[in-house]
Amino acid sequence: MLRRCISAEWMKLRHSHIWVILIILPVISVLIGSANFYMNQGVLKREWYSLWSQVGLFYGEFFFPILIAILCAYMWRLEHFNKNWNMIMASPVSATGIFLAKFIVVGVMLLFVQILFFILYFLGGKLAGLTSNLPGELTGWLFRGWIAALAISALQLALSMRIRSFAVPIGIGLCSAFIGLGMYVANLGMFFPHSLLAIGMGVLSQTGISARESILFIVMNMLYIFVIAAGAIYSMSKADVRV
Amino acid sequence: MRAISLELYKLRHKRLFLMAMLFFTVEIVWIFMAVNVSISRNSDYAGWEMLIAIISSMNGLFLPILAAICVSRICDMEHKGNTMKLLLTASARRSSLYAAKYITASIIMLVVCFLQGIAIIAFGIANGFEQPVPLNLLTRFLIGTVLTNMTIIAVQQWISMSVKNQVFALTLGMIGGFIGMAADLFPFEVRRFFVWSYYTGLSPVTQSYTSEKIQFMIQDMNSLLPAMVILVVAGIGIYLTGSIHVSRQEV
Repeated sequence: MLRRCISAEWMKLRHSHIWVILIILPVISVLIGSANFYMNQGVLKREWYSLWSQVGLFYGEFFFPILIAILCAYMWRLEHFNKNWNMIMASPVSATGIFLAKFIVVGVMLLFVQILFFILYFLGGKLAGLTSNLPGELTGWLFRGWIAALAISALQLALSMRIRSFAVPIGIGLCSAFIGLGMYVANLGMFFPHSLLAIGMGVLSQTGISARESILFIVMNMLYIFVIAAGAIYSMSKADVRV
Repeated sequence: MRAISLELYKLRHKRLFLMAMLFFTVEIVWIFMAVNVSISRNSDYAGWEMLIAIISSMNGLFLPILAAICVSRICDMEHKGNTMKLLLTASARRSSLYAAKYITASIIMLVVCFLQGIAIIAFGIANGFEQPVPLNLLTRFLIGTVLTNMTIIAVQQWISMSVKNQVFALTLGMIGGFIGMAADLFPFEVRRFFVWSYYTGLSPVTQSYTSEKIQFMIQDMNSLLPAMVILVVAGIGIYLTGSIHVSRQEV
């Protein structure tokens, strides 16, 4: 059943042009980050690490969380139209199937965004004339960034499911990105999904995280995903639809 | 007037003002924390100029996104409810509807700007800034911010009304926020073409880095006038083009 739900979600996205947004946002962050790096190479001397600090800061702190919020709001957009909530709840699929299908589809698209971001980062570095090897931590940054993005996706999907407006969950997402930055600065980063993204992607500090922190990072993300998804599925099964 | 009051009536349960207040609170708390850190590191910075300069640059990030959200909310309710046909059969003119939505969004953004002005004064007094409240600078700051907001609202409304899918309007808002934040990195010849860069472009205080120190300089009003005129003309042009384009679209 889950497979059919997933294929239905893909079908709904077919003519949405959402791919334009998935491509355009990483391109802009890498373009501006790389241009800033290129113009300030006199100060930014740590090659790939400095480039990561420039492209990753804009991308990880602002663009990626809002991209996730837009994507998640889009996933529920059709359900909020007309009487579609009644139709989807009356269809012979479980609430778990509906939510998980959306979560998986968002996860796949975010993986694509992360891979695209890596390719653009690599190209940006080569065009800026970097000749040294790529940082060893790069795979970890990208993978942990994806894991944290999944936790944020669960939160945004739950918000967009409950809030009919397309724009409001995105606004909440942006505010959360700033709260996350504040919590990261206050060393409380492990307790907020948006700060976990900053920690995972190493956008503010490129020093790698210890094995203990890595485990805590994964556990916290899984906890967020599980608790938020369970809450959203429970709410979908119990609460009456609002049309 | 009636169309505007009806737009506000339609928004009464939308919690749009709450959303705007949430944005305003997050932005202002963020700015005041940053200013406090700067003052604690160097007490020379404790002045109105730094406060206004930092708020202008943070507005470049926050206000385009807030404008996108407000405009999208105001326009999307007609798309979602498919109410445009109803309104037009009730003899409402499309241009009046367009204008009413524009003015409603501008009112919300104006409230946010005024609250910013009050917050600046309150913060300065609470932190014991030595100079008196610079009403001239604050007025110029508000004029610049409001003019930029109004032009951005015109851009956003055009997209939100003409394209049903609000994903594009919000993405534009986000890109605008990013350009607004990074505007000072671009050369003047490039940034003057981006409406989002005018939050800092029309700010009465600019900042520059010389010998690793930040310096705040007050801009002469006369030097800002050409940019203001360009922005107003662009805003009127975008608004009229948007209004005519949307009026001619099939419902």
